[in-house]
Amino acid sequence: MNNALILKPRALAAIVAVTLVGIGAFTWPLVLGFSAADAGHAHDAPWIFLIMLPLLLLVVAAEIADGGIDAKAVALLGVLAGACAVLRPITGGVTGVQLMFFLLIPAGRVFGPGFGFVLGNVAMFASAALTGGGGPWLPFQMLAAGWVGLCAGCLPPMRGRAELCLLAGFGLVAGILYGFVLNLWFWPFGTSGTGAGAAVTFVPRAPLVENLHRWLEFSMTTSLGFDIPRGLATAVALLVVGRPVLLALRRAARRAAFDAVPEFAS
Amino acid sequence: MIDFENVTVTYSGATAPVLRDVTLHVPEGELCLVVGSTGSGKSTLLGAVNGLVPHFTGGRLAGRVRVAGRDTRDHPPRELADVVGVVAQNPSATFVADTVEDELAYTMESLAIPPAVMRRRVEDTLDLLGLVELRDRPVSTLSGGQAQRVAIGAVLTAHPRVLVLDEPTSALDPAAAEDVLAAVQRLVHDLGLTVLMAEHRLERVVQHADTVLWLPGGGAPVERGEPRVIMARSPIMPPIVTLGRALGWSPLPLTVRDARSPARALRERLPAVPAATPAARLGAVVGSAERLTVRYGGLIALRAVTMQVRAGEIVALMGRNGAGKSTLLSALTGLVTPASGTARVGAADPRSLRGRELTRNVGLVPQQPGDLLYADTVAQECTTADAEAGAERGTAKALLQRLADELDTELHPRDLSEGQRLALALAVVLTSRPPLLLLDEPTRGLDYPAKARLVATLRELAEQGHGIVLATHDVELAAEVSARTVVLADGDVVADGPSREVVTASPIFAPQVAKVLAPLPYLTVHDVLHNLDVA
Amino acid sequence: MSHLPPPPRLLHPAAWWLWALALAFASMRTNDPLLLLTIAAVAAIVVASRRGRAPWARAYGLLLKLGLFTVVVTMVLQILLGARYPGHKLFTLPSVALPHWIGGISLGGTITGEAMLNAFVSGLRLAVLLACFGAANALAHPARLVRILPAALYEVGVAVVVALTFVPQLAESVVRVRAAQRLRGRSITGLRGLRGLLVPVLEEGLERAIALAASMDSRGYGRRAQQPKLARRISAAGVLLGLGGAVVGTYRIISADGQKLGIALLCSGVGLAMCAGFVAGRRVHRTRYRPDPWRGSEWLVVGCAAVVAIAFALTVHDPVTTGVALAWPRLRIVPFLAVLVAALPAVLTPEVPSGQPKARAAVVAERVAA
Repeated sequence: MNNALILKPRALAAIVAVTLVGIGAFTWPLVLGFSAADAGHAHDAPWIFLIMLPLLLLVVAAEIADGGIDAKAVALLGVLAGACAVLRPITGGVTGVQLMFFLLIPAGRVFGPGFGFVLGNVAMFASAALTGGGGPWLPFQMLAAGWVGLCAGCLPPMRGRAELCLLAGFGLVAGILYGFVLNLWFWPFGTSGTGAGAAVTFVPRAPLVENLHRWLEFSMTTSLGFDIPRGLATAVALLVVGRPVLLALRRAARRAAFDAVPEFAS
Repeated sequence: MIDFENVTVTYSGATAPVLRDVTLHVPEGELCLVVGSTGSGKSTLLGAVNGLVPHFTGGRLAGRVRVAGRDTRDHPPRELADVVGVVAQNPSATFVADTVEDELAYTMESLAIPPAVMRRRVEDTLDLLGLVELRDRPVSTLSGGQAQRVAIGAVLTAHPRVLVLDEPTSALDPAAAEDVLAAVQRLVHDLGLTVLMAEHRLERVVQHADTVLWLPGGGAPVERGEPRVIMARSPIMPPIVTLGRALGWSPLPLTVRDARSPARALRERLPAVPAATPAARLGAVVGSAERLTVRYGGLIALRAVTMQVRAGEIVALMGRNGAGKSTLLSALTGLVTPASGTARVGAADPRSLRGRELTRNVGLVPQQPGDLLYADTVAQECTTADAEAGAERGTAKALLQRLADELDTELHPRDLSEGQRLALALAVVLTSRPPLLLLDEPTRGLDYPAKARLVATLRELAEQGHGIVLATHDVELAAEVSARTVVLADGDVVADGPSREVVTASPIFAPQVAKVLAPLPYLTVHDVLHNLDVA
Repeated sequence: MSHLPPPPRLLHPAAWWLWALALAFASMRTNDPLLLLTIAAVAAIVVASRRGRAPWARAYGLLLKLGLFTVVVTMVLQILLGARYPGHKLFTLPSVALPHWIGGISLGGTITGEAMLNAFVSGLRLAVLLACFGAANALAHPARLVRILPAALYEVGVAVVVALTFVPQLAESVVRVRAAQRLRGRSITGLRGLRGLLVPVLEEGLERAIALAASMDSRGYGRRAQQPKLARRISAAGVLLGLGGAVVGTYRIISADGQKLGIALLCSGVGLAMCAGFVAGRRVHRTRYRPDPWRGSEWLVVGCAAVVAIAFALTVHDPVTTGVALAWPRLRIVPFLAVLVAALPAVLTPEVPSGQPKARAAVVAERVAA
């Protein structure tokens, strides 16, 4: 593998930390069982997370950049993120991220987990900038896409057909999970008013298991119709076009010569 | 200013060095032209000046490169940004910022120049290169010549002492090329910049150079000297030098003006009307436009254009950038829908044709031939082409071997040189044997040997009965191969007739030989020598 | 002294984003339809008078439409799934119980006026939130935010700029390659078409990336100043400590045994990490060409935002989930006036320059739309 962007321990620690906070921010609706005295903070928790998460992402970006992103990595990041960002509106309409992952996953695979993480972030931001879609959901999308790119970079080494199947399988899972996870951020806002009796809505003070169950049902009944096609489309596209895309990326990695050591002799 | 001491460069994985034992010294304030064919190590030499070779590319550099006293061994490219400005071959691919003004400031931002100084230098540069009215333009909307000048301006704001230009005019039309070269001239004369410039189109640049650096390639030693001295020996030369050398003129002329006075005697020896070349046997009409009008939104790209192409004929289509040349080719392949009028290939409307029906009637080699290619290897590309055309296996490969021998068919199409890639695209298109063949700017990035080969190929194809349309800025190529020239301006056909008449009447589209011998209608060196023999 | 109107200019992007954030904060604190609609109207007024002329200024309309769509979806969902809400009966749908393995949800049932109203308000709240951020995107394009990133984020910012600069070229190369595919007589639809399109476009983009990298390298990208070892150590410690605090704080918030402490920990942790990472952490040695100025108008916009945020934080305590009664809502004067204050930037800030917008995104958006 060509590690286009090497993560230093501090950057890794920052990613882990933002991931933990992100999981907290993603899952607080499930586990938060606040007492009556604290009820006022039902307002505050999502706000705190919505503001803190982007700031933490900035810290992570600064830490990764501190390890040095050389010109080759920045240029490749920019170009691939631009391509991802264009693939998103072209292919997806309202819901689709399908063909964006289809480029993000091979790129993470070829250029390594660090590159995959930053690419996921930058691509989501560029996509939002392009369509005027910046908002509180953006940090969640950036973080989730970053995870997808990072995990793609950590898949076990394989070659040939097995590699394509591996990537396609990962694409399927990532495509579906991405939708499920993103449901979490707005689920409590979006549906909590629909009443205590509704089966799929967020109920504060309900135990974790019950809310988890409700969230799953919410996802199943609302977004599964988008998530499964997205996962499938990613998988199929990877199976059919994955090989030439991987080849193109590997050729670029070779031409960029990330491991090039200039030698001088007199 | 630039010093190379016994420089040898070997890329990792390569068996032979690209540059061998190069020693040279370019003094301050000199415009030095680098000449050599593809693969002679020109790009490596240019890259070594600011340390991109080997810091960026990898590989091994033996010897020593010093620029303004700084050794590239200890100074990576970013530490040389304030002394060397590099403008790459395709400037629009290298823009970092979004608008012209931000692009001009980018290098200075990296160098941490104080904001007040930055502002002043940006304004100066806008004036110096005539970019004032472009300052707010997004870089993606610039034309080729504008992009080239912005790219030069973007490195100039750092006040470098050396400017390295790689093929600054090869993609430009003659007028835009003049603008860029005039700007470079001004930098050398007014600011005392040292300029190192590589360029295939010697006819445009050789008269501006103070010295020429000749890279023979293949490990032979480089030579540096006065343009006249080098041109007298180099196998690569512009038509005017070819003419001068063939007729033994001394001193060797480099410009039309130099050549006019020795040509006086020649004009008297030449017949007033050149001996008629054997007229090509023209066949049926293979492509035509009838009062063809094309609009893009409010913009009229073609206005009631009427023209015909017959089998066996080569037509040169000339005109400024944006005059409608590419639009006409697109209309003939059915890529654009006419607002009124008709375009026909054979007897059919190209828009109604799909798949093989289309490729068997008309073939287009686009400006970037790589667009047509998508297989992983050259061999695979050929097999796909056979299958798509329904041709016998091996047809495309045989064609390719005729167009470019010694091609490793296991290479990736993107790793080929420009000339080889053009040959491959041409072979792919010709596999379907289309009676009408269209080429859009085929000479971009081609050196003289590759161009000579293209000329031979086109003549052969015309003899076999293909009707060929060649949209080009390259007046020398057009003069060489075309019997007929069509000039477009602003969507109108402003001239259509035998090349000899159309081209000699125009100061812009006339080749060098025609300018030297005006008012006699001679276009090429071969033309002149042939008629001298006859006389 | 005569009062000339201030010369037209674009305001600092951060001012508009803070302003939008305050409105969004207000919209999430209330379930009063009157206040929610007022917020949306104020955002619309300011957008109408102070957005640029570039295509991304349409973002407000786009996100507002998406918001209206969510209102409809919420209400339809309510009818289908969220039955059994006590109150005034409107109509009854036949009730169907789904099998247990998908959760035993029952569809249909009696639909009440309260149920519909609550569904409407909760959908509306999301729609207004979307509209607020649509306004932010329309007033100050996110790409302009990249220009104000601190030096420590320089590389990532460059990657975003490169991505956005690349998009128009990408669109152009897609058009060219599609044409070339037709010239070879290929189909341009389906997966084969996708392959023929994607591979040449990607190859070209990657080639461009390498050329761009070489150009950036020769233009001084990545020059950095040496830092004393001690400063690096201190900043590393600060970042790690801050991140640790943020994580601990997060889980205190979630476990709910001391939310106030958790929130304080999270906020101060993030603050510490940011200070350590940005200020002491490293010095990218570069300057900024013509930075966006921060003048009185920006303070005015931020001031209006602060009025809204403070007024809502102090006076509005609407529960997140409890239902809204089926009655005509009473207008609450303080928050209502506060929202009106947020409309002041529509008249008090300088006008938008009428010339060509100084940004890439105009071209980008047009080509993407095409």
